[in-house]
Amino acid sequence: MLLVHEFSIAEALAAQVQRHAPAAGRVAEVEISVGALRGLEPGALQMCWEAVTHGTPIAGSILRVDLRPWSIACSSCGRTWTSPVPFVACACGDAAPVPTAGDELELVALTVDEEEA
Amino acid sequence: MGGGRRTTRVPLSERVLEANDEIAAGTRAELDRRGIFSVDLIGAPGSGKTALLEATLRAVRGRRRPAVLVGDLATRRDGDRLARWCDQVVQISTGQGCHLEANEVRDALGQIDLDGVDLLFIENVGNLICPVGFDLGQAAKVGLFSLTEGDDKAAKHPYLVQAADLLLLNKIDLRPYLSFDRAGFEADVRLLNPAVPVLDVSATTGEGLDAWIAWLDR
Repeated sequence: MLLVHEFSIAEALAAQVQRHAPAAGRVAEVEISVGALRGLEPGALQMCWEAVTHGTPIAGSILRVDLRPWSIACSSCGRTWTSPVPFVACACGDAAPVPTAGDELELVALTVDEEEA
Repeated sequence: MGGGRRTTRVPLSERVLEANDEIAAGTRAELDRRGIFSVDLIGAPGSGKTALLEATLRAVRGRRRPAVLVGDLATRRDGDRLARWCDQVVQISTGQGCHLEANEVRDALGQIDLDGVDLLFIENVGNLICPVGFDLGQAAKVGLFSLTEGDDKAAKHPYLVQAADLLLLNKIDLRPYLSFDRAGFEADVRLLNPAVPVLDVSATTGEGLDAWIAWLDR
């Protein structure tokens, strides 16, 4: 199921990237930014990316996933930090600091190789 | 001349699911214009989504004018169950798809006489993860958990808990038989979403359904 989730997102992304791909040139890299709330697995996303771009003009492009972490704020000691997982204890002993994260899923940039005339 | 290669980085900053979100926005505007309150019901397989809707349709019969879209991987069983209680049921077979997308909902709504509807339920595919990120154009997202799934399911599915306008905890009638830590479940929910209401219900015995119906009627 997780894999299917990443698959539909990879499909939507591939369509979006192909709309932006220049006629003369090759998309070398695709950068996306993903909020921790999305629960996306970068490894699964990479695998799906290879599958959905296979045989298309953007095949072979590298997908770079910037997975944004959770922000953790401890109300007992005031410390804030980032974490890959939401439920973590604070060093001060507070067992339940507050986790927050975004659900952004953004195509940040493309890197394009073009032959110079 | 030259013949060298030039590498350019093109900044874009675009939402990946923009196409889905645009269709959803169109659906939302249409449902708003018609005064139809719509719910995207998200829960795990076996959490009781269809049972809850059966009980709900029974409870609002004659008073509200409901329609149901039901997403399922392969079978028509859920749709057939719901059709006993509601004239307007459309089954959406998603095949391999683990969630509904906005275009499927828009197309299914085309099969419904919306003039005769004031309440729309969208039963999503049984899954606590994938459906959350796809806007369907609903007015409210309702997350359905159940006692038999265990008390850690809210903590393990933060996106649903955070995105939900209401959480239902189903199969509450089984409380005497299960070691479900209700206070711990609530504490996990509150860390992720301090404001979301949580209602204990049983689709089987009808316990707690009054509060759910009142929430739909508000």
